[in-house]
Amino acid sequence: MLIRVPLSWLRECVDVTVSADDLAHRLHMAGTESKGIERRAWDKIWVGRIAELAKHPDADKLQLATVEYGEGRRKTVVTGATNLKVGAIVAYGEVGAEYLEGHTGERMVMKPKDMRGIKSEGMVMSEKELGIGEDHDGILLLDPKLPVGAPLSEALGETVLLLELQPNRPDCLGILGIAREVSALLETQLREPERADLGRQAPKALDVRIEDADACRRFAVARLDGVRIGPSPEWMQRRLVAAGMRPISNVVDITNYVMLELGQPLHAYDLRDIRGGALIARQARPGERIRTLDGVDRSLPNGTLVIADEERALGIAGIMGGEDSEIRGDTTTVALECASFEPRGIGRTATRLDMRGSSGSAAARRFAWELSPDLVPIALARAVALLRDHAGAKLAGTVDRYPRPRPRTLVRMPYGLVRKVLGIDIARDEAIHILERLGFSGCTIERDILLAQPPVERTDIAIPHDLIEEIARIAGYDRLPARVPDGPLPLIETHPLEEFRERLRDALLELGLQETVSYSLIDPQWLGRLTPDATPIAPEPLRIQNPTTASQSVARPTLRASVLDTARRNLRHRGGVALFEIAPVYLPRKADLPDERWTAAIVLAGSAQPDSWLGPGRDADLWDLKSVVSGALAKLRVGAVGEVQSGAPGLHPGRSERRGSADRDVMTWGQLDPRVADLWELPAATFVAELDVASLHGRVAPPRVVAPPRYPAAMRDLAIVLDEPTAYAAVEEAIRAAGKALVESVSLLDVYRGPQVGPGKKSFAVRLVLRSSDGTLSEADVDRAARRIEGRLLHQLGATLRT
Amino acid sequence: MVPRRPAFVPDGERAFDLFGRFAGEAHIRKGKDRMAGPQDLNALADRAVADIAACADDAALEAARIRYLGRKDGEVTQATKQIATLPAKDKPAYGAAVNEAKARIEAALRSRNAALHGASIDSTLREREDLTLPGRPVRIGRLHPVTATIREVSRIFGTMGFETIEGPEIETDYYNFEALNIPPGHPAREKWDTLWVSNPLGDDPKLPLLGRTHTSPMQVRVMEKRQPPIRVVIPGRCYRYEATDAIHESILHQYEGLAIDEKLTMADLKGVLYSFARQVFGSKSNVRFRPDYFPFTEPSAEIAFSCVICDGKDPHCHTCGGDGWIEAAGCGMVHPDVLRRVGYDPDRYQGFAFGGGIERLAMVISGTPDIRLFAQNDLRFLESF
Repeated sequence: MLIRVPLSWLRECVDVTVSADDLAHRLHMAGTESKGIERRAWDKIWVGRIAELAKHPDADKLQLATVEYGEGRRKTVVTGATNLKVGAIVAYGEVGAEYLEGHTGERMVMKPKDMRGIKSEGMVMSEKELGIGEDHDGILLLDPKLPVGAPLSEALGETVLLLELQPNRPDCLGILGIAREVSALLETQLREPERADLGRQAPKALDVRIEDADACRRFAVARLDGVRIGPSPEWMQRRLVAAGMRPISNVVDITNYVMLELGQPLHAYDLRDIRGGALIARQARPGERIRTLDGVDRSLPNGTLVIADEERALGIAGIMGGEDSEIRGDTTTVALECASFEPRGIGRTATRLDMRGSSGSAAARRFAWELSPDLVPIALARAVALLRDHAGAKLAGTVDRYPRPRPRTLVRMPYGLVRKVLGIDIARDEAIHILERLGFSGCTIERDILLAQPPVERTDIAIPHDLIEEIARIAGYDRLPARVPDGPLPLIETHPLEEFRERLRDALLELGLQETVSYSLIDPQWLGRLTPDATPIAPEPLRIQNPTTASQSVARPTLRASVLDTARRNLRHRGGVALFEIAPVYLPRKADLPDERWTAAIVLAGSAQPDSWLGPGRDADLWDLKSVVSGALAKLRVGAVGEVQSGAPGLHPGRSERRGSADRDVMTWGQLDPRVADLWELPAATFVAELDVASLHGRVAPPRVVAPPRYPAAMRDLAIVLDEPTAYAAVEEAIRAAGKALVESVSLLDVYRGPQVGPGKKSFAVRLVLRSSDGTLSEADVDRAARRIEGRLLHQLGATLRT
Repeated sequence: MVPRRPAFVPDGERAFDLFGRFAGEAHIRKGKDRMAGPQDLNALADRAVADIAACADDAALEAARIRYLGRKDGEVTQATKQIATLPAKDKPAYGAAVNEAKARIEAALRSRNAALHGASIDSTLREREDLTLPGRPVRIGRLHPVTATIREVSRIFGTMGFETIEGPEIETDYYNFEALNIPPGHPAREKWDTLWVSNPLGDDPKLPLLGRTHTSPMQVRVMEKRQPPIRVVIPGRCYRYEATDAIHESILHQYEGLAIDEKLTMADLKGVLYSFARQVFGSKSNVRFRPDYFPFTEPSAEIAFSCVICDGKDPHCHTCGGDGWIEAAGCGMVHPDVLRRVGYDPDRYQGFAFGGGIERLAMVISGTPDIRLFAQNDLRFLESF
């Protein structure tokens, strides 16, 4: 959580003996992340007073505001704000002033603007435009006592540290917590703010009841009589603004002030609104509703803790008060609530009511962390002192219910652990000194055991390792040496499947394909576009319950859509693509994690070879894809890839193939169905392949080492005529079967269809290389083998020889 | 049966036998008129030497060789065959003449061959090519920078004895959070806004699924399966419920390291990461630790690498933001509760874990300005690596 720490406020709690930059750096290096320092230059921005207001002659929604800002200076600005009144004190920015654009937050320089025919000379500014808050609904109305004509930086200027807190440090939610860190780092004095004595007397007509002690850990209330509602003191308003809150009235401002100072939220009620004289922490009743301070009428979900009186809910505990018990102008008796809640319940409720995050409830953000219940009486006493001083309040009793007090932890750490964990020694004196500066008490070392009791605000310290971190971070992590670890090394396991996958990646790279890595969450509509009739090609995908965008709302069960999308987007600016992706697809399993099945997807489309002075280019075709696939498989020594299965959905029915076993595809490849290609705005000649990495890996054949042959080869060319349906593979198979070990290689030189072979026929020209490992083949040996091969082709495939 | 002649079969005689046969026949016809004698062979050799000297190229030279010395029909070969028809007394002289003619012709062939070869090399050497002409277009396959970075990370930690392993991207709440000291409702969950996953085969309320928000669940899975000593590095994809911008992605890659032993300290952690930084960014680079918070490590630290782009000298550096340090990863000593949960004795075993972003590292190494470029897969971007 980002907090704003005004330096002047911090200085009130601790002596700061270094510059703001140094201080931010020291805090940063001790674990409180610095996000920057805000210094208000506010050049050309002045405290101004609205002298006149008039309607814009040509625009209903615009007003002309005349601002005076000292020494007789007056300017007229055009504004759309509706919260201006004559006499209001505002921030006026001259032409040339820097501001943050109200919607985008961009840094801008003010220029004279013509708005519907009237020149606007500068502007009256919102919180957001000044960079001190998020509010841009209206103009920021300043304390009426501010001197008109003063530079705004003098009136409101403040150096503010921006600090990002981690949720284990709720103690730092208050300025005092940061001051404690500063005090430890700079070794300077910490000053706790003044607190009132709460006394022991119970108030009249006001009691507290905890009905759910798991959800509400502690609940205290103070009754304050004689309260006079009015503005809070100017110094307080200025600090609130600098810390990012809006001043409202003295009572409300004081509760916010204490929250910012100590981290503990408080809530003030008008006692007149508490019916039955009791505040009750209880679960919301079924169907219970409340209208919260932000004016929203809310129905309270099950499990919501509310603060109620005997009749109705007054507020959502720890999150936001109700509208009908808020402090009003005529409030004279205040019931001031200070309570501690179970943080997860608060977090859950805030999430459900959408009041979490930086725009939600400031109290809820704090209560969702493990705030110490020990803060309750401290914060209450502080608020009572401020109400006494600045709202005329008289304490008329307090009550504090704390059914199960938190035991104070005493951490015991064998001192040797410091060296064992950090790898360096830190002197015992230094360690004790660090802990004491951090507010730990009773720090001693007895028989090599360090004992320390954390300050009440620190709920994050429980085990010896926590103490080690405290000691190390204040001593400085820079003191840790960088050492190369020794000690035994584990045996390294082998990962054959992953190694195979990486070799497949390399094989595809070597074949000239570009690797891509795309989002694994995709648009579910893509899956309907992989076949002409939207029949799915993959199992129903896992869905994201809370997607950030519909285009990333299912876990892809196939890579095909992803590579088609990548191809499509790239073909907008280039002639051809040849790319692949290797990634898991996510296949749901019942009552189990999904099967994350590593898959390779390849796509070739458009130009395969561009035109060049060395020859014309050409487009990718089916045989380019086959070369890529078979080349990669050959390189990886993948043997047979399984039986051909019927149909490859989404691919061209006559130019595709799906192989594998009945229950698992190993490889699908071919031309994309041209109707699908249309859906993806891809060329009709788009070629895709998908390979199941694990299945291929299971089919790797061991290497068959071949020594260079000792005897010469003989060569024979054959031309055979076959019926059209006969596959080339059958020809090659027959040749190898008949030629036995003599056939070293078979290559297809030509495929011919036409008048010379007649209709329904085709001719293959095939070259055989024959070789024996036993000796040089004689002419007669070669003739015999050729006759055997010819005989097999005639007999088995009905082939005729072409001469 | 033979539709085409294989190119490399040494069968030159046949190619030119028609030519050779004519010459041979003419000679034999003449021979019927009178008996051949050594003087004929001298004339034949004279003619052949002149012919050979006149050959302008290798093809003509080969034709001449076949014409005179061809094994079937060469003129000298034919003359040799005539020896059998001669009276015995003439045979030795004739035979010697044949041999002499053959030797003269072979010498002429060799010398002409050498001359032609030399001339051909000379002519080749006179050729001048415009070397600025482009070569034949080729396709070059490149790794995606994310894969390349993962491989680099694995390689470097591999040199320090870390084994690369992988694990599920779709995880359970238990491994992603609870086993790492982040029970439901823990405020630290806000650090890892989560994408929750629904199974079309039925959701199990006891086994809520999510896209792992970090690679840290693998710390637990590894420790459940193995006993110390452990040194592993786990690269992989992670998911965040997060709006994307130039430095944030909702689908990203991380690397996780885990080392458990009896004596590993935070100084060892710093040493491993220092060693990593030096191998990635060069021996001048450095690491900085500052305290950070992770529920599953104690003490915890944030690692920053010294900025290799500006060396900390450019106050407006886009890579480090001007302070000279690039926040790169989170790390710390594995929390005793995490060890206890997997059945290790935290009094005996201890160790460290670290985790960083792959894209983040790739951005710094390559100067990539926007993290979203990695998943866009614009080939113009990918081909620049």
